[in-house]
Order: sequence, then C-alpha cells, then structure tokens
Amino acid sequence: MSLQEINVKIFRYDPEADVEPRFDSFTVPVIKNMAILDVVMYVQNYVDKTLAFRCSCRIGMCGSCAMYINGRPRLACRTQVSSLGTPDITIMPLPNLPIIRDLATDMEPFFEKWKKIKPFYVGKSELKDPVAIRPDSGEREFIDQMLDCITCGCCYGACSMVATNEEYLGPAALNRAYTLIADKRDAIRVERLKAVGRSYGVWRCHDQFNCAEVCPKKLVPTKSIQQLKKRCVLQKFGVFK
Amino acid sequence: MNEIKTDVLILGSGGAGLFAALHVYDSNPSLNVVLATKGLIGKCGCSRMVQGGMNVVLNPADSVEKHFMDTIKGGGFVNDQDLAYTLVSDAPKAVHELEVKVGCFFDRAEDGKIHQKAFAGQSFDRTVHVADLSGIQIIARLTDQVFRREDRIKILEETRGLDFLTTAEGDRVVGAVLADMRTGELIVVNAKVVIVATGGSSSMYKISAPSVDKTGDGMAMCFRAGAEFMDMEMMQFHPTGLLAGQSRLSGSVLEEGLRGAGGYLLNGLGERFMERYDPERMERSTRDRVARAGYMEIMAGRGTESGGVYLVMGHLGAEFVEKKFPGMCDRVRDIGKQLSSEPVEISPTSHFMMGGVKIDIHCQSTNMKNLVIAGEDSSGVHGANRLGGNGIGESVTFGRRAGDTAAALAEQNILRPYRQEQVEEITRRWMKFYKRTEGVDIYPIRDEIKNLMWDKVGVVREAKSLQEAMSRLEELLEVADQSFVTNRTLFRYNMEWNEIINTINWITVARMVSKSASLRTESRGSHYRSDFKETDNNKWLVNIYLKNKGNMEIETYIKPINATRFSAEEIIKANIKY
Repeated sequence: MSLQEINVKIFRYDPEADVEPRFDSFTVPVIKNMAILDVVMYVQNYVDKTLAFRCSCRIGMCGSCAMYINGRPRLACRTQVSSLGTPDITIMPLPNLPIIRDLATDMEPFFEKWKKIKPFYVGKSELKDPVAIRPDSGEREFIDQMLDCITCGCCYGACSMVATNEEYLGPAALNRAYTLIADKRDAIRVERLKAVGRSYGVWRCHDQFNCAEVCPKKLVPTKSIQQLKKRCVLQKFGVFK
Repeated sequence: MNEIKTDVLILGSGGAGLFAALHVYDSNPSLNVVLATKGLIGKCGCSRMVQGGMNVVLNPADSVEKHFMDTIKGGGFVNDQDLAYTLVSDAPKAVHELEVKVGCFFDRAEDGKIHQKAFAGQSFDRTVHVADLSGIQIIARLTDQVFRREDRIKILEETRGLDFLTTAEGDRVVGAVLADMRTGELIVVNAKVVIVATGGSSSMYKISAPSVDKTGDGMAMCFRAGAEFMDMEMMQFHPTGLLAGQSRLSGSVLEEGLRGAGGYLLNGLGERFMERYDPERMERSTRDRVARAGYMEIMAGRGTESGGVYLVMGHLGAEFVEKKFPGMCDRVRDIGKQLSSEPVEISPTSHFMMGGVKIDIHCQSTNMKNLVIAGEDSSGVHGANRLGGNGIGESVTFGRRAGDTAAALAEQNILRPYRQEQVEEITRRWMKFYKRTEGVDIYPIRDEIKNLMWDKVGVVREAKSLQEAMSRLEELLEVADQSFVTNRTLFRYNMEWNEIINTINWITVARMVSKSASLRTESRGSHYRSDFKETDNNKWLVNIYLKNKGNMEIETYIKPINATRFSAEEIIKANIKY
C-alpha cells in the first residue's frame, strides 16, 4: 500500500488544565519507512508544538514510546505506518496508567509493581566467579529469552486483569520474577516466590495471552507465569527449594 | 524553587551513571545520592542501545597489554595512555561485577564460559555480549540494583541538568540547577560532588546513531562552567548506519559484529571497496577507516541510489545470520528488508565523541574541583578513534571509578553554599524563552545545525568549510537565544522548551568540535582533512585543549600526549599511517 498522506487523530489531555480529553486531527505527509514515532515527531516539530509524548532510542531497545495505536499497545518507533493498512490512524496513551500529558504516561505504577517482586539479583554467597553453564545444557534457554524484556509496558496496557484489578502485579513484573526464580545463581528465590504466590500475583493471571499478543519483543509472559504457578504449588508442598 | 541538599548528584542513567550510583552506595551506604536522568531511568541515553558488546580480557591467551595496544593503535596514538590502561585493566573487574553482583548473564561458549566474539580492530576475540542487543540486559540489571538502594539513592526521572552552580572563584562545583521536565519546575541541588554522565552530542549531525534525548547537555554545562576539554575534533562516524530515508530509524547502527562475523561492504557497482582502503583487514578494519572509505565511495559517485553503500550478509547463510543477529534482522525487517538474504543500504552515521572533558584516572576534572566525569562526556581513553566494544567498556569501568571517587570526595568535603545570584542568572537564562510573545522557531534552527555539521564538520573536513561552519555557529548561538515557546503558560512536559535547550547545547558543543577540527592540520583516526591528508607524527602527537574564556569564547592550547607506556619515539618508529 502506498500512501501520500494519512489522517491522524491524536489524544490530547492535560490533567492539570483540561476538564476532559479531546482528539485533535492532523493530516500528515507520508515519508519512506515512516514509523508512528515519525508521525508524532512531525506533528510536534512542525504543526502543534504543544503535543507531548515520550521517546528515546527510537529503535525498539528502550521501551519508552509505547502508545495505544489503532486499538492496540505498540511501540511507536517499531510500528510502520504502512503496516497498519489504513490511512486513518488513532494514537492514544498506553492504557492502565495515569496520564502526565497527551501521550506521555506515568510509568510509576508499572515500576512500583516491578519493584514488589524484588527485581534485583542477589547472588549466592558461594558464587565468587561467573558460573559456567553450557548452552547445550538447556538450563537457561527459556530464561535468556525472557530476559529481553524492555519494560515498555505494552503487556501492562493490554492485560485485562490489570485493567480490572489495581493490585495485580501484571505480566512484566511476574516475568521478571520468573527469570530470577529460575536462575540457580539467585539466593532469594524462595522469598521471591512467596511475593508472587499471592492472590494479586500469579493467581490473578487467567491465561488470556493479551500480553504475548502485544509484546514487541515476542515474549510470552503467560508462559513464565505458568512456570511460576507450578513452582508456587511445589513450594506449598515443600518440594521447591 | 525546590531545593535538595545531597552528598552526590549524578546526571545520567546510562552505564556510567548507574554504576557510579551503585559504587557511591556500596562504598559508603550512609551517603545520599540524587540520580537525575533526562528520560526514564535506565531507558534514555545510549548504554541501553549497546548492541555488539564489551571488550574485556578474560582468556589467558589474551592480555591487557594486547588490549591496551589495540586501543591506542586504534586511537591513532593520541590517547591518554594512563586512561587507556585504566580501561583495559578495570574491564575484567567490571565484567566480573556485572555477572557476580549485578546479575547479568552474558552469552556462553560451548564450554560454558563467557563467550567472546570478534570485533574490528582487535588482535583477539574479546567482546562479551548478550546476543546482538547487549545493552538491554546490562542496563536493566544495573537499574534493578539501583532500585534496591533507593533508601539512599533518590531518582529524579525526566529531570535534566541546566547549569552547574560554582563557588565565586569559579573553580569548584557545588551543585546544579535542574529542570523537572514533567512540571517545568526548576530544582536547585546543592551537592558536595557532581558526577556528569550524560553522554555526548553526536545527535547534532543529520545522520546520527544516538538516542533522541542525548544532546550534549553535560558537555555544554561543563563548558559553560569552565571545565577543560580535550580532543573535541575527534568525532566517530560508525560505518554501518541503517539508511531509511527521512525516518528517525535512519542512522541507527547495525552492529560491528556483522563485519566481525564476515559481512561484506559493497559499493553501488558491486565492488568490495575496502580492497582500496585497507586490503589487509578489509571490512574488519577500524571504524574510522571503514566509515571514511564508505563516505569516499559515496562522494565519488559509486554509492547506491539513496546515497549509501551496501552491507551484505547473505553469503554467510541466512540461518546463521538470523541466529547470531536476531535484533539486527528484526530492525532491518521493519523497513521491509531481509538482512540475512539481501543487501541493505547503509551510510556512515555520527556515533560517538572521543573528545570531552579532560579527566585524571579518578575521573576528576583537571581544573574544576568536585566535578567528576565518566563515560562519553570525558576524553582521552579512546584518542582519535574508539574501538567497537570499548564504549560500554568505558561507561562501566569509569562509572565504577567515578562512584568510588565521589564517595571519597563526599567524605572529605563539607557541603559548600551555592550563590543565590547564580541560581537567578541560570533561571533567567533558560526561562526567558517563556517570556517572549514572539521570536525564533527553534526547529528549523535545529535542522540547519544537523545539515551544517554533516556537510562541513563531517567525515571529511577542510579549512574553508570548517571556517564557514564556525562563523555560522556563532550566528546560530545568538539566533537560538532569541527563540520563544509557542504556549507561554504550558510548563508541563513542554517539548519545545526542551528542544531550545537541546539546540543551544548542540551549538555549544559543535563550536568546540569545529574549532578543534580547524586547528588539527593533519589527518588522524576519525579526523580526516582533505587539505592535510597525511598523519604528521612529528608535529601532531599532541592533544588540543579547549576552555571557555568566560564569555563563551573558546580558548585553545596544545600539549604533548600523555605517553607513559608507549613513548612518542616508539610511535614515530612504528610509522603507522592513517
């Protein structure tokens, strides 16, 4: 599909000043390889300088520019205009988070939950050197893949359980917990397992795979959460150490 | 105005800033740290964007001496040898700490030990990595460790530095004025020690690699405050920046390991052009040479239709390329191309500044007390050209050191008062853009700088265009100062106001780069003069220093290189050409 221009509707809201949100419409000329990030930059740089959004690396590594684009959480930098298959584009902030202004959300609730699972590694005291683990042992295959999380919040914005349950830790935090609990080098795995094994933790996940559908890194947090559920049960039976 | 008193203020949350915070805390957990970062913590800046990996000596068959020689040879022998040696000898400790304490897990070789891959310009395969997107894990794990220490580390997100606070004598830093970008409010941070780790200003070029937020803020602040700079002419262009038209994807780096693994570079005629420039090392030559070669092919009319050259990986087998470089393949797929099976258009892209604030091996500014610099804001480690894999190496090794130094300084120093009149002056300097009802639109100015730097202070330089750039930059500094913010009452998340500050900082750094480039009348490393093509070891084994005279005019002077390990005589004898 080759487009000359697109019709963009952008969500505008300043919680300090506006009674309610509105949509502003812009016609934007299409350039080659145009990403949604290029679209909002064009609008902010040359049409309406008051627009607010967040971005940093612009190549899908930092996870700063997650937005709700045509009905789905996506990274603005890695969403090509041409991939949307329509000249009509609606851009809103990521759901399930407070709005700072326009498209810039406050990620604090997301990171508060991230911190609840104790996201920091605590090495076993006897491990004085990097541990030798052969790639063909398969020991880290799944962990290493899940470590690619860029904490963009797309999963958090897509998860229907997060939407209806303020306390629920959400897919990204639980996925992080899994990568630590499954890491044999970690010293506080049991403590972490207790933190996630509560009603607002793993048991709140209803396996709807909303998270996996939107993850720009193609991770499947649901799978990590299932692994955690299994370990929680084993731990209750005293089998997980 | 909010005021915070603290022991240590850190600007930046890349590898250097985060590691510095950990080391301040772990050196003395009673010290208070304020960690201010322009974006979200661990998400802005370029450490997060590190792809290839980090050079470190781990194999007994390798040695820090070899890594040192590679580093200074790659750097055209104008590195500060004490700093280069610090890099190579601290790197193994940093990687050890990243694995054992921070919790990173680097890719493993068949025997289960840390895998080390091939990078360009190195005598040994010594680059540790996490596939081809290493920065994500390094920075995410460091950020998690900072979260663990939040009892003493206060994180200020989306908070940028505006200017430093100094004593009346001007030789000591006592804090900084910051701006909370979410509210637009200014904050005074009164600190015993300030660590600058905001990264460079390569984004001031039309085609550039860094994150959007990295705009030379720390360097510009240091210049305005009077810190001594070195090697500002040394701008690295990465040879393999993705070409994607006007999209912001353009200029993003396709990682060095692609060439390390055996990727070819072809010009528009299908020739492996490196044959003409470095027949021995071909594509695995250093970044400066490969970038220049690509540029010259393009300039000679042998480029591709969009003004680039080709990176070709297909001959290595699609499966191999997809497996080893999944992140690169994904990125290229975003623009509708298959890296593993078809040629991809690339161009040199502005990437890294070897120059910066002059420091000693403890990361202290050589002329400003209690000012500590780590990472790209500093100078001397890489000389005239940085080796791939030494960038994140510098961030983490010098970040650790900066933290240790800051902790020691904080213990030895009292909290000195700041001057209210200086706070007011800084406030006026940056808030005046809100007071005007009309003025200059900053965005066309910003676009002009990017083109100006690319055309006149780019990969290939000569006296006339450098002069033109310098005089235009003087004008632009004044023009940018006449900018105004469209909505005068909108302080919250005002991107236009921030772009005005960014642009003024770009110009401030760009002036130093062009001035320094005009003085070095030879070619060395990444600095190539078409009017002085030869490397002149008899005259130019020196570094160019720059400093603010006090009125933004630049004072320059020249000093011999710090050759404590491999002397100037030995360098001249080695007779290596650039």
